[in-house]
Amino acid sequence: MDFFDPVLNGFGVVLDPQNLLYCLMGVVIGMLIGVLPGLGPAATIAILLPLTYGIDPVTAIIMLAGIFYGAQYGGTITSVLLRLPGEASSVVTVFDGYVLAKQGKAGTALGIAAIGSFIGGTVAIIGLTFLAPLVASFALDFGPPEYTALALVGILLVATISGGTKIKALIAAAVGLLLATVGRDVFTGAERFTFGNLSLADGIDFVPIAMGLFGIGEILYNLEERHRAVSAPAKVANVWPSRADLRKSSGAIGRGSVLGFFLGILPGGGATISSMVSYAVEKKRAKDPSRFGKGAVEGVAGPETANNAAATSSFIPLLTLGIPANATMAIIFGALLIHGITPGPQLISEDPELFWGVVNSMYIGNILLLILSIPLVGLFVKILRVRAAILAPITALITILGAYTIRNSMFDVLLVVLFGALGYLMKKFGFEPGPLVLAFVLGELLESNLRRSLLVLEGDVSGFLTRPISATLLVIFVLVAVGPMIKSALARRQHDTTRVNADS
Amino acid sequence: MKASSTRRTLITTTAAAGVLALSACGGNVAGGSAESGEAFPSGPVTITVGQDAGGSTDRIARAVAEGMAEDLGVAVPVVNKAGANGALATKEVAAMEADGQNLILLNASLITITPLAVGEDEAVNLDNLDVIAGLSQDDYVLVASPESGFETLADIQESTEELNFGTTGVGTGSQLAQAVLFAQAEIDGTAVPFDSGSPALTAVMGDQVDVATIQLGEALPQIEAGTVTPIVTFAEERPEFLPDTPTAIEEGYEVPVSQYRALAAPKGLPEDVKERLIESVQSVRDSETYQEFNQQNILTPWEVTGEEVVEEWNALAEQYKALVEEYDISLSGE
Repeated sequence: MDFFDPVLNGFGVVLDPQNLLYCLMGVVIGMLIGVLPGLGPAATIAILLPLTYGIDPVTAIIMLAGIFYGAQYGGTITSVLLRLPGEASSVVTVFDGYVLAKQGKAGTALGIAAIGSFIGGTVAIIGLTFLAPLVASFALDFGPPEYTALALVGILLVATISGGTKIKALIAAAVGLLLATVGRDVFTGAERFTFGNLSLADGIDFVPIAMGLFGIGEILYNLEERHRAVSAPAKVANVWPSRADLRKSSGAIGRGSVLGFFLGILPGGGATISSMVSYAVEKKRAKDPSRFGKGAVEGVAGPETANNAAATSSFIPLLTLGIPANATMAIIFGALLIHGITPGPQLISEDPELFWGVVNSMYIGNILLLILSIPLVGLFVKILRVRAAILAPITALITILGAYTIRNSMFDVLLVVLFGALGYLMKKFGFEPGPLVLAFVLGELLESNLRRSLLVLEGDVSGFLTRPISATLLVIFVLVAVGPMIKSALARRQHDTTRVNADS
Repeated sequence: MKASSTRRTLITTTAAAGVLALSACGGNVAGGSAESGEAFPSGPVTITVGQDAGGSTDRIARAVAEGMAEDLGVAVPVVNKAGANGALATKEVAAMEADGQNLILLNASLITITPLAVGEDEAVNLDNLDVIAGLSQDDYVLVASPESGFETLADIQESTEELNFGTTGVGTGSQLAQAVLFAQAEIDGTAVPFDSGSPALTAVMGDQVDVATIQLGEALPQIEAGTVTPIVTFAEERPEFLPDTPTAIEEGYEVPVSQYRALAAPKGLPEDVKERLIESVQSVRDSETYQEFNQQNILTPWEVTGEEVVEEWNALAEQYKALVEEYDISLSGE
């Protein structure tokens, strides 16, 4: 088979001891930086890039790719244990992951997340191996109107997936949308809510908001709780995912893999939306949706699988079209150029060794990550045995360091503190930070793409409905928004008629 | 995990934190000895970049830093302080002590084009900086989607359809070049700003917009693959990387827009320190690694003196301002 020759040769490339070593180095570095919020894979790769000048291009890219998908594994750990989602795509993991940890089931959450991540990653690599050229054009079909529709669906899901009361979730989401408007308007250059401060010109970064609201807010709240009543520390058992947990999660992992693979191909926001959609789907499918937010294993398994699958499939537009799907891919694009390789449609045929070497290294990398993370789960959960008086300052330190590393600015540290205070107040008054943070992420996507669509469509709103993908997404939006209302109206009517019948 | 994360923190922040501490005290030392002119460099020389890590400005800074570190014999760390197109970082460095230990990598567009789009109080000028040397030039190319069928500027002029043209953002060379060209060539169209080059290029490839102006380095792989069609470049002469595409000037339009980059320091640099820095930049320009870097990143060397940088950028700023006024173009939307 002609197709399989280069694929198999690619495995030959990966199994070269030097490449294996760099793959291992990449995934370990990735996992570690994933633990620290703020310093993301993009910045790490940019900093380490000069170190790769002297080595083979294939080896260099194998390592850099490893940093990227390794970071996805690491991000889960802080989300579950410390309530610190380092990336927008792991925000939903916090909802059930942190609750599980508090129930003494951190091992279950981390174990399921690692298994889900492995399966999601592997499914996406298999998809990448066989479908890459076919699905790549999917990314090109997504213009501004399609992104607008997708962001709308996402914002609707925010209301669905939040655990608290609907009205409070909507208020929090509205604040999130408002925060997204801060900064210099990208269409006119006008300043919005910046108060003449240049540090706000580019808007607020995701990290200070998420770190402040989730991390610092939680620490402050716990401090107060401890003053009021000395509660017994949660029993920390090193519980492995039980057979029942695995059975419960298997569907979530399967669906998460497929969702993540397809949404990950979209440049910009694909991973975040895939984790949200996965969470919403699991909650909708569950027999008892009220378990979600109170420690449902599927609520960790689905999104974690989806964001890892998305991380892998975001390589498709880069390797087959030469389009970087996110900031990290843009840097890997630069790295390829520096090594004299032009990413683009001709890459597979001109440089099969590199293409298949990198793709196949991801199989190995994922196995390495699984091997690394499973034994480490036992070590990680021990963190929860650390007394709050010691753990809280360390968490605060990690948070503040993370905020500082985004752009070496004290301003972001100040923001973390401010949002920490806000997070504390929100928690005290029963508002969930999740809807705020997710609406903030999607608000930027929605606003700029809506305005861009109106420019592209010459202000003709009907254009949204004549384009097949955006029309389909809008139909889904309407169904999800109106569906439950119709259902409950019908149910009431039926109820009324039966009662009328009974009366007569 | 605690131990490993702490160690990681140490590894990744040692560079930053250590450097901050060192350059802070280094600054004091140099402040005292700058007049005697012997102690430079008295510690690490930091190059601040007003853009995120990984972009082309950042890559140029890292390439220059690598060469300068070798020549100066001290570490030359690159610190990214993204914000307001680089205005934030530039203002911060301009306010530092003029001892040569703190440098900034400047984008010409911040001085020449951004002021046309944003308020005056945010605009940055060269008055508070000592420009050390020019580095390289990044050209812009107007590309069309294959579905549009455009191959020359004349095709676009003859088109009767309402055109959409993508730009890489407000106040960028991409926006200015395209707006001026279309005004001069009497082409009607709606500008659609994207966040940066890559989404704009993707939009042209997917035929979401008809044409867009992109930095050559970003567009070249797609041009070579035939997924977008080059129409004109905005360079003064044909860039060596794209010899078969005419320049806008050749087509009869006055639109010389390129992105230039230069290295600068706070105003008031002691003469000997400045000379040492110029010498150091020259050694970078002469090194084979750096020349290869330019080649691979589709950058044309633009190796002029600091005085020439100031002169040219101020002239360009005037020229752009006149053009924008002449054709009644507003870079900030309507």
